[in-house]
Amino acid sequence: MAQDKEALYHERLKRYTTALRNGKPDRIPIRPFVAEFTAKYAGYTCQQVTHDYRLAFAAARKCALDFDWDAVLGNMVYVWTGLTQAIGLKYYGVPGIDVSADTGFQYREPAEEHAFMKADEYDALAEDPTGFLFNVWLPRVSTDVAPIGAPSTYRNNLSFLKGGMAMMDYFAAFGPQNELLRKECGTVSAIAGILKAPLDIIADKLRGYLGLAEDLMRRPEKVLTACEALMPHLLHVARSSADPLNEVPIGFWMHRGCVPFISKKHFENIFWPTLRPIIEELWKSGHQVLFYAEGKWGHHLEAFAQLPEHSIVYHIDQDDIVKVHRVLKEKFCLSGGIPNSLLSFGTPQQVRDRCKLVIDTIGREGGYIMDASAIIQNDAKSENIQAMTDFTREYGVY
Amino acid sequence: MNDEKKTPIPPGICIPWEEKAKELPKIIGDEQQLRQIWEENESLAYTYIWHCLVSF
Repeated sequence: MAQDKEALYHERLKRYTTALRNGKPDRIPIRPFVAEFTAKYAGYTCQQVTHDYRLAFAAARKCALDFDWDAVLGNMVYVWTGLTQAIGLKYYGVPGIDVSADTGFQYREPAEEHAFMKADEYDALAEDPTGFLFNVWLPRVSTDVAPIGAPSTYRNNLSFLKGGMAMMDYFAAFGPQNELLRKECGTVSAIAGILKAPLDIIADKLRGYLGLAEDLMRRPEKVLTACEALMPHLLHVARSSADPLNEVPIGFWMHRGCVPFISKKHFENIFWPTLRPIIEELWKSGHQVLFYAEGKWGHHLEAFAQLPEHSIVYHIDQDDIVKVHRVLKEKFCLSGGIPNSLLSFGTPQQVRDRCKLVIDTIGREGGYIMDASAIIQNDAKSENIQAMTDFTREYGVY
Repeated sequence: MNDEKKTPIPPGICIPWEEKAKELPKIIGDEQQLRQIWEENESLAYTYIWHCLVSF
């Protein structure tokens, strides 16, 4: 049995990596990014899998085994709220505390006047990003970390000790989880490592989207300088967390760096010039990047098309699949394109019809990976996930 | 305020070894090893704060 799983693993790894390099494997790999869906399927609440990563790991393995998927994430409910609570992070709505036990965790962006970084602090961030994060940012985002100069506290000390130990515990658990996925399910761990764009970091965690939008109008040169200062650090985080064998890509989560969240000018002058060199630098080391293009990035496909061949995989959320295919397919593997609304509210037949359309339009020549448009949460119906899986396995044979 | 432009601290480090070394008496052993272990532990603290920002 174990040998069968090992053979299956290698078969799937070959299928997945061939597609990642825009090649034509034996059939279309199925790699759904299933998050809170795993809880629903395995009989847990959102609170259970979010707050106890061991349950999330078990649910991920159960889904991988039962649906027989080629590749998954060890835990797509990535934010372990046990860890965020140990640090005292304020910006999460925790299932069972801030939202119902059966609602996925939420990200809470503070009001503009309570942004975690002030408009006049760009120079301080740019001068020493790591120092700024420890000394200024962390005391603001944590309920427990004391500001520099304030008396230290028991809670402050515990935040660092518990937070550091918990993070090591969590990260170290992914190795054994990936081994279990391999041995129990024959399933490949789909990505390794994390990247976010400098401008997205400023919106998501520092200034908030509204603050950033104002800064782009009033002090764009400060925003650019700060993004440039973040670049080497985000590159380092991505590279140090990447797959050392270069088999699977780094996950790049794309948030609000596109039109209409920002103007085309700001994309061209700030977002892209401070992201593109990171992608190119990673590719020089053989690290492919999965562009998880949440929302619509259709205004920027031509910019992405300038990247080196195979350096990225482009994941389609709400983009026009025909346009993405026309602009990017020659150089890059594509994934996704099955709307989450369909998985939640559609019928299995509608799901099969959409899968057929996507495969016929962008997946006939290889270089395509089946997945939903966005992360699959607990609103998806099991029968629709089954339909997506079964149809692809039958129809997606080359 | 010191107007002198500071050298940026490289990724992976919070407190550079050069800064720490100034606090120590004259090193009479293998400085390279001391530096290496210092920087390996630095990378753990660096990982902590940057993953707080990027991952969590």
